[in-house]
Amino acid sequence: MSRGVLLFCFDTEHTRYHKILERCVRLVKRNICRKITVVTNFATYQRMNPMGFINYKFIEPELGNSLNGRAWNNVDRHLAYELSPYDTTLVMDIDYFCFSDNLKQLFDTDYDFLVPTQAHDLTGRNTFDQRRWSMIPMVWATVLLFKKNDRVGKIFDTVKYVKQHYSYFTEMYRIYSKNLRNDYLFAMALQQINGFTGYETFPFALPTLPPDCEVVEITDEGLAWKYNDQISYVENQDVHVLNKEIANV
Amino acid sequence: MDIHELKKQSDLSYDTAVAKRNALEKAHSRQVVAYREHLFRADPTTICLVRTLKESQDSFYLLDTNSNPVEITDPAGFLSILVERNQESLNAYNQTHKTFTKKDA
Repeated sequence: MSRGVLLFCFDTEHTRYHKILERCVRLVKRNICRKITVVTNFATYQRMNPMGFINYKFIEPELGNSLNGRAWNNVDRHLAYELSPYDTTLVMDIDYFCFSDNLKQLFDTDYDFLVPTQAHDLTGRNTFDQRRWSMIPMVWATVLLFKKNDRVGKIFDTVKYVKQHYSYFTEMYRIYSKNLRNDYLFAMALQQINGFTGYETFPFALPTLPPDCEVVEITDEGLAWKYNDQISYVENQDVHVLNKEIANV
Repeated sequence: MDIHELKKQSDLSYDTAVAKRNALEKAHSRQVVAYREHLFRADPTTICLVRTLKESQDSFYLLDTNSNPVEITDPAGFLSILVERNQESLNAYNQTHKTFTKKDA
């Protein structure tokens, strides 16, 4: 049974996502797994520095989504099932930095689909509690574990269906955010395919740094950030960084 | 009374509280253990339950973190893994906690 990590990375006009990818890959190789597949386009690939043995899959990203008025090529996550060459896949956002090996043990489980439902705000403001702006509990599609089988194939088929009718489903579930977010997409699809009941989830919250925090230093062990003129840091703890300026650190 | 000193102390207390919360969250994440293809939490509740059941039975069933039943056939081995992970996470938390005490002093 093969296992590996799947990452999506597409540079945009404003953000050099490949710089973030290079840091992410280094940490994944060190703490999670050496088998990595990067889904990217050729233009982004050409800018990447050598990162050792990596399996690349080239696709052209679907355009049209935006974040804070800037292009945001993040809507291809529904293709993860087809694009992954592994039997068991850990899909991660490239801005999720694994400073610990906590996710590694998920490969040793027989759950066929696992998704986190909670985020821990590292600034202590509980920013992400406000995400209950819908009729259903939200998930964080930042990290997903899936195995290839018939049931999981149907989950991804449902994700595609919900994506195709995104406006309808966001109205139905009263989701106010109008740009396409994988978090909402997977939350709605999981709700639908699981017969409007619960599903299996990660037993921990994803440590997350809100977008208004500026990352000032990053090493192989952790990172430091500035918020309100105050410097804080974490070590040996995973961090999901929402401020895309990390590409310039 | 120096209001600036009081504000400084207040800021320090807040920063310490946030850092403590983060360190505790880190410990909780670290307490998740994969065993027999399921996830368990190496917390006091699980440890006490396994130890209690182990006293009277060679094998028994536990619920994993997603409420799936799992047969535990090697209670001693499982207990050892739980205790080790629990203490590893709390030892790391203790190291971080010492730095808070120094800041407060």
